[in-house]
Amino acid sequence: MPDIWWKADPRDLHRLVDRVSSVYVERSHLDRDENAIVIINKRQSVRVPASMVAVMLLGPGTRVTHGAIRLLADSGTTVCWVGEQGVRMYAAGLGPSRGAGLLHQQAWLVTRPKERLAVARSMYAMRFPGEDVSGLTMQQLRGREGTRVRKIYRAHAARTGVPWNGRDYKPGDAFAAGDDLNRLLSAANAALYGICHAVIIGLGASPGLGFVHTGKATSFVLDIADLYKAEYTIPLAAQGLTEERDARLGLRDLIARHKLLGRIVTDVKALLTPEGTDSEDHEANLLWDEHLGTVPGGTNYAAHADLSPHGMTDNHIAVIGPDPDEPDPTP
Amino acid sequence: MTVIILIAAPEGLRGHLTRWMVEASAGVFVGNPSRRIRDRLWELLATRIGDGQAILIEPAANEQGWAVRTAGRERWQPVDFDGLILSARPKTQPNENSHRPR
Repeated sequence: MPDIWWKADPRDLHRLVDRVSSVYVERSHLDRDENAIVIINKRQSVRVPASMVAVMLLGPGTRVTHGAIRLLADSGTTVCWVGEQGVRMYAAGLGPSRGAGLLHQQAWLVTRPKERLAVARSMYAMRFPGEDVSGLTMQQLRGREGTRVRKIYRAHAARTGVPWNGRDYKPGDAFAAGDDLNRLLSAANAALYGICHAVIIGLGASPGLGFVHTGKATSFVLDIADLYKAEYTIPLAAQGLTEERDARLGLRDLIARHKLLGRIVTDVKALLTPEGTDSEDHEANLLWDEHLGTVPGGTNYAAHADLSPHGMTDNHIAVIGPDPDEPDPTP
Repeated sequence: MTVIILIAAPEGLRGHLTRWMVEASAGVFVGNPSRRIRDRLWELLATRIGDGQAILIEPAANEQGWAVRTAGRERWQPVDFDGLILSARPKTQPNENSHRPR
């Protein structure tokens, strides 16, 4: 049994707020070298202070070793595999949050109409700075948001001279509308969704529990992305671009310039942890109990421990390579 | 800002530290770890440095604005002169910065 002194304790890890939001890697290898996480490519090798990074975004052309992932998970760094330039997330590893604090908080807020309305209101309030929206119903907020968005479209179309015949969006077929502006807006929005999705996973919140949006597995992603469309994707699409790739690249430059990732982290945390509730993220191995609240896990609560080996031999198929010391079988 | 210097560290210790700080030059680490994490990292370094040396320089609420911790062998000792921290060198060591008289 080797001594794994390098394992980090939850107390060794930085809170998400103290971390750099993301590191994007493409066309490189991620490996482990003397307990360090290394990015290696033809030009250089770089050691990543992963405990200071919230999300590692792995783009096309990356190769990751088991050792690297083990250290990243130990550092509480989320790993997201994304498409070109942070667009569309394919998969994500464990987030930096080892506890379920933020997730519980989100579930608690979303299942209580009064609290849910308050969160939805603050989402709208972020888009109407300086206006008091505290007395408005969801219906009034929706109407006001519609007016605001229409104004923004018109203003940007007038500014850039791009013809604008209204947003034509068909659910499920973002590119159906046909005209360039609609198509580019859909492309840029897809990229924005991917980035918001990565941050939400990274914080340990659920992408599915939305407050304004509901019913989709990515409802909360849509909620969060809507906060930034007016500032990022709409002005971009109205610039008269023609290629979807240009829209994605343009968005990435905007995001880097305005440090949007950090802002998304701050906004998600602010929405899910309203004033005064500090959710210090604790990892705890507990079992829920309806009377006691929680009881310690890792304990056998049976009066007579039944140690039958059933369930220990679940059928699964393993593919295991040859032992590195084994001689090659002669053909 | 915190600076950690490791000299002749055992294998794997420098790599481990790069998960928290940036190694600006061989054995010189720079970063902004919180007080709690500094303490925990130092505990680990001090117990594992063995025959090497570890020096940690951190911000502190004193006149100088910083404090220093040391661990390992044959190290220079921080000495407190009424609040001013200076470094005391062991007498036996030749000063490696001076040239021998010709």
